[in-house]
Amino acid sequence: MSAPATPRSAASRPLVRRRAAAMLRALWQVNVVEELQYRGNFVASVLGTLFWMAMALLTVALFFRHTTRLGGWDYWEVVVLLGVFNALTGIIEAVLRPGLGRLAGEVRSGALDLVLTRPVDAQLYISFRRLDIWRFVDVVLGLALAGYALVRLDRLPSAFDVVAFLVTLGAAALVVYAMWVALMSLAFWFVSVENLSVLFDAVYEAARYPVSAYPGALRFLFVYLIPVAWTTTIPASALTGRLGPATAVGAVAVAAAALAATRLLWRAALRQYTSAGG
Amino acid sequence: MSGARPAGGSAWRERYAALIRAAWLVDLQYRAAIAIWLLWGVMEPLIALGIWWSIASGGDVEGFSRSDFARYFFGVTLVNQLTLAWDAYYIDRWIREGEMNYRLARPINPVHESIADNLAYKARSATLILAVWLVAAAVWPAVRMPVDPGRWALAALAVVLAAGIRFLNGYVTGLLGFWTTRATALMELQFGLSLFLSGRIAPLTLLPPAVQTVAGVLWFPYVLAFPVDVLTGAVTTPAAYVRGFAGQVVWLVAWWAAYRLVWSRGLRHYGAVGG
Repeated sequence: MSAPATPRSAASRPLVRRRAAAMLRALWQVNVVEELQYRGNFVASVLGTLFWMAMALLTVALFFRHTTRLGGWDYWEVVVLLGVFNALTGIIEAVLRPGLGRLAGEVRSGALDLVLTRPVDAQLYISFRRLDIWRFVDVVLGLALAGYALVRLDRLPSAFDVVAFLVTLGAAALVVYAMWVALMSLAFWFVSVENLSVLFDAVYEAARYPVSAYPGALRFLFVYLIPVAWTTTIPASALTGRLGPATAVGAVAVAAAALAATRLLWRAALRQYTSAGG
Repeated sequence: MSGARPAGGSAWRERYAALIRAAWLVDLQYRAAIAIWLLWGVMEPLIALGIWWSIASGGDVEGFSRSDFARYFFGVTLVNQLTLAWDAYYIDRWIREGEMNYRLARPINPVHESIADNLAYKARSATLILAVWLVAAAVWPAVRMPVDPGRWALAALAVVLAAGIRFLNGYVTGLLGFWTTRATALMELQFGLSLFLSGRIAPLTLLPPAVQTVAGVLWFPYVLAFPVDVLTGAVTTPAAYVRGFAGQVVWLVAWWAAYRLVWSRGLRHYGAVGG
């Protein structure tokens, strides 16, 4: 039974992958053309980001009026972390909220039927179907802030630091993605909850500061139960030279585990789905 | 409305009873969503408390001990939940998507629907947050408030006034949607500033003096910091009480006047554009 199936699936898998890539490319092209009509949104988006970055910097400045270190980090080190926070926020707002963010409403209304009947992987399609391209500017502004803070620290990251930063930032993005899928999957069990993404916003607030700045109980919560500690603290540590190789490997392992768990959860959630009539 | 029968006190009671009942039943469907908003409201003060708790590990911060911070931010979660108003976002949507039209066709000012919504929502979330609060106080002595019924009564009054200011402030901001498509951005702007000026991120006395001065001439401290300070016992002198309550009343009247002005002007403008 399994002998003939193996070569067929091995042959079709690259095909499926190529088809998925072509689909996403086509979706994004339409998407970019649409968004370019609304260039005023670009200005509003940049102004909004600059305002919230200023508020975040003032908050950190306020803490540093009363202390010289926050969890062992000095002011500009925390600003590096804020830059990473903003870059990740950009990815969330550009990719996750426009796509996955709509899932809860679609589960409730039954509009998800239209997605499930498509001949593509539903998780892939729902996750990346739509981009809010202007919010990618947040990624640029965030990285620029982190870069400026490094200049103020008088610290030039080595090539190894930069590689470690890029790898751990990718791992952080995967952890954030996994958290979104996990939270949005709850919509399949609790149907009348359209503001599930607010749950993410609530816990992601914690990623504004290094995890070492929290008292023991909160730190335990953010490292082991809600993995926000793995999102900003670790890539920022890579840039400021605080990251040991063991933690870097650990971050990648956490991201891989989170992604695998998310896939299982997604499958279990889809089995719950009975459309609007169920 | 010349033909309408004159509305006495009992007519208003009936109207409000119906509006509140309707709002209560709508909220009933979204109990889980309300619980999520509650969690969201608790996280920010909890994170701020975590940071200040660590900063205060080396000793008091300008007179604030760890348990002072704990009491302050527990007060913040309660007062913030009881005064939370989403009206700016609703009104903005009503105006942009035309839902304002059928509300204007009703023989009752839409503001009453919003007030009823707020009363129903606050009754529901108040029971939730009070339950959470009592459990927290039972397991964590640091956040217990001193038992003093007189001060609790004053705190309740301060919370009611704060809720009134915050409601009118949000409502007026939403009504600016008659003129601009970015009314919610103005709400976001105020929300950002309130981080400092209302005392969401730190007790006001820890802010730089210049910022405290700016806060003092605006409504921000009166919607959060003042009621919290009454609750935790940080307000002690009669003069401080008088200053605080007077400020609340002044800003309540000011925002009410702003509401009257923006509503009448806005309606005229709305008719002119839509007609």
